[in-house]
Amino acid sequence: MTDTSLDELGPVDYVVVEFPAGASNFTGEMVKELLALVNAGTIRVIDILILTKDDDGAVEATELSDVGELGELQALEAQLAELLAEEDVEHLAAAMEPGTTAGVLIWENLWAAPFAAAARRSGGQLIANGRIPIQAIIASIEADEELTEGD
Amino acid sequence: MPLRPARVGRVGVIGAPVAKTAVVAKAVTPGPAPVAKTAVVAAAVTPGRRRRI
Repeated sequence: MTDTSLDELGPVDYVVVEFPAGASNFTGEMVKELLALVNAGTIRVIDILILTKDDDGAVEATELSDVGELGELQALEAQLAELLAEEDVEHLAAAMEPGTTAGVLIWENLWAAPFAAAARRSGGQLIANGRIPIQAIIASIEADEELTEGD
Repeated sequence: MPLRPARVGRVGVIGAPVAKTAVVAKAVTPGPAPVAKTAVVAAAVTPGRRRRI
């Protein structure tokens, strides 16, 4: 990767989505929505792994290419980079409950790349970022309401 | 199935064991939508809302 492409790289995020045993309901809806984001140029999928943690806590990782018939995901799979290392699998699996399967998705936020690059060209440096859980917003509002009622 | 060889022996990008994000798990749990909460949150992020300091 060149310096130029690094400068234009958007923020990279990940999620681990856990499916408790017997609770999964794969209708293709997730694939459809993921591909819509990719096709719209909103994100670029960098890596995907499927993790399984057995009842004893042992973790097994499966490459997307080993899943079988990928259908519409085939083209996406061909573009994946193997960013995650074995060490990452251990770290990510720490969040999983025994007896579950989880999908790990790593993606670049293409939508944010131009703004991030502009900020860097302007001399800015990222010093913090994060995500605000909806529950934190609710808690903030409720605390605010309690204060208001106390006035 | 084993990981691809390219993933083995490399330094990872996830720095430490990841803790379960309970609040997010709760938010995506199937079930009745928390309508009242949703309305409150929507109001909180409405364009033009100003904080009170």
